[in-house]
Amino acid sequence: MSAALRRLGRLHPTGGAVVAVVIFLALYAIYAASEADATSVFGLTNLFNNTVVLAIASAGLTLVVLAGEFDLSPIGVIAIANVVMATTSVGTLGWFGALILVLVIGAAVGLLNGWLVATLRLQSLAVTIGTMIACEGAALLLLPAPGGAVNQAIVDALTGEVLEVVPVALVIIAGVLLVWLVLARTRLGIALYAVGTDAMAARLSGLSAERTKLLAFVLAGVAYAFAGFMLSCQTGSGDPRASDTLLLYMYASVAIGGTSLIGGRGGVFGTLFGAGILSVMQKMLFALGAASFYTSIFSGIIMLVAIFIGNASELLARVRRQRVA
Amino acid sequence: MAPPGVPTMAEPAGRARAPRINPELLPAAVVLACAVLLIVASTLLNPGSSFVPQLDAVLVTSIFLVVASFGQGLTILLGGIDLSIGVVVGLAAIMVSTLTNGSNAAILWVVPATLGFAAFIGLVNGLGVALARVPPFIMTLASGISFYGVGLAFTTGLAQRPVAPGLVALMNARVAGVPIPVLILLGFVIIATIFQNGTSDGRKLYALGSSPGAARVLGLPIAGLNILVYTLSGLCAGISGILLAGYSSAATIDIGDPLLLPTIAAVVIGGARVVGGRGIYLGTFAGALFLSALETIITVLNLSQGVRDIIEGAIIVFALLLQSERWRVARG
Repeated sequence: MSAALRRLGRLHPTGGAVVAVVIFLALYAIYAASEADATSVFGLTNLFNNTVVLAIASAGLTLVVLAGEFDLSPIGVIAIANVVMATTSVGTLGWFGALILVLVIGAAVGLLNGWLVATLRLQSLAVTIGTMIACEGAALLLLPAPGGAVNQAIVDALTGEVLEVVPVALVIIAGVLLVWLVLARTRLGIALYAVGTDAMAARLSGLSAERTKLLAFVLAGVAYAFAGFMLSCQTGSGDPRASDTLLLYMYASVAIGGTSLIGGRGGVFGTLFGAGILSVMQKMLFALGAASFYTSIFSGIIMLVAIFIGNASELLARVRRQRVA
Repeated sequence: MAPPGVPTMAEPAGRARAPRINPELLPAAVVLACAVLLIVASTLLNPGSSFVPQLDAVLVTSIFLVVASFGQGLTILLGGIDLSIGVVVGLAAIMVSTLTNGSNAAILWVVPATLGFAAFIGLVNGLGVALARVPPFIMTLASGISFYGVGLAFTTGLAQRPVAPGLVALMNARVAGVPIPVLILLGFVIIATIFQNGTSDGRKLYALGSSPGAARVLGLPIAGLNILVYTLSGLCAGISGILLAGYSSAATIDIGDPLLLPTIAAVVIGGARVVGGRGIYLGTFAGALFLSALETIITVLNLSQGVRDIIEGAIIVFALLLQSERWRVARG
């Protein structure tokens, strides 16, 4: 195998992501077979609206995980973004000004996380618990009780369809994927994998682990903020505690999508399908008339199944790599 | 997670220079001192209260975290993690209250059954990690989510049941002026410390955590140790859940969720490293006590929830900063 092909293989790790795509299609097929609305424009819009917040947030998380770190702060950032949208998007700032404000806040929290983890070398799993709690506190200060209102223009525009055919949420998810595909080809994208695989080797070959991790956290912060923006468009109001349950499902999306939680393997492509699996599964079980608790049970089982298959393909890849060496 | 670029070669050299004092004792003592200072401060800020009752109050409210963090600390010692703790605490609490249903009659078999169920979830985690080689982060996350669904299945449609009065009394009674939970807490800390830092099993855990490769060469029972640790973690979460049910006299399935992240924070504040092989239980205990004391003092100050969260988050970050500073000095 040529070197270029091998590098391509790393950027598009087929193992985990293919598993996620197959599981997603299988679940969607069952859903479509048992629910007539599943293939209608309305049904699809609904499905993608349910997916988009988790998908964007998990995509951001994937960058941090690829670089070999953890981030527990996303729900804090999403909470802040949600309450800022609910308190400012109607006023003089307008929805666009509010969006910019929210993205800047997300980048700032990401920068703080990155500085603590990459520059000061604190343990990310613990330190982001601190920033997460502080962010939730800030959200509570801005909006102590659920309420506020989000600009109706974006509530209508971003939960509907483009030309009454293509769900806006799908366009946004596709946009996130496009950004990732470009990013993965940049110096930063390659550095993410290198640093996540072996920080020491990456440094010896001239990559700055500190700068790479810092940028990963900043980009992730922006993604969480954008996820919070989309959440606000869907709920139409603010709730400082709305995102609490999201965190575990974000990690589930990343893991199901084939990204290794110790870093260096995987990608956003798989994560997006991981998030899709979690929401289509909910729809499928509902269409089949299963009680809601099955959703939790199945989420766990699907995670394990995806990991099993992913592990098997990783093993194959290792065998192949050894043969090359 | 990859080690954050710390050259591991430096560590044994540093240890060889000062072999007699356990280097992990210092951070534990510092965190413990900070916790005591916080309790003193909350006594001063709260007119009409004195130190001992304040200490008792903090110890009683810290017991859930102290017990659950022991299991978390063991999994982190092996370089793993247990994300199912919050769910197991909630399941144990709901199981003990549903089955006793407000009477003491069933308590003798319900408590062991609940502990058995909690340990079983831990065993499932351990088997997945040790035999199926699923990464601990994923295994415990998946089993937590799944068992949460199982718990929902059993509790949907049920009205909230009261906990057996015996358990409620246990959490409120005193022996010779000392609250019983404080005695339980002290007993637990002593047993846990002896297990982790005084037995050969405990030493094997350190060996496995600091170098899995060397542990394999030594012939340590790696799978067995992993299964033991995750089962113990489930058991501790079960104990914590039963105590929590008794303390709050009613249980919901979500009652343990707020405990999960603090268990990780307590372990790390106490001086452990998430890559494994370091940390003593006294440190974890100090971390848990510190977090509970922090919660108490913030409550005494009567601040809004938002300000409380910001202060708590900042102090967690600050505590970690102090630790990293210590490491830098120790290495240099």
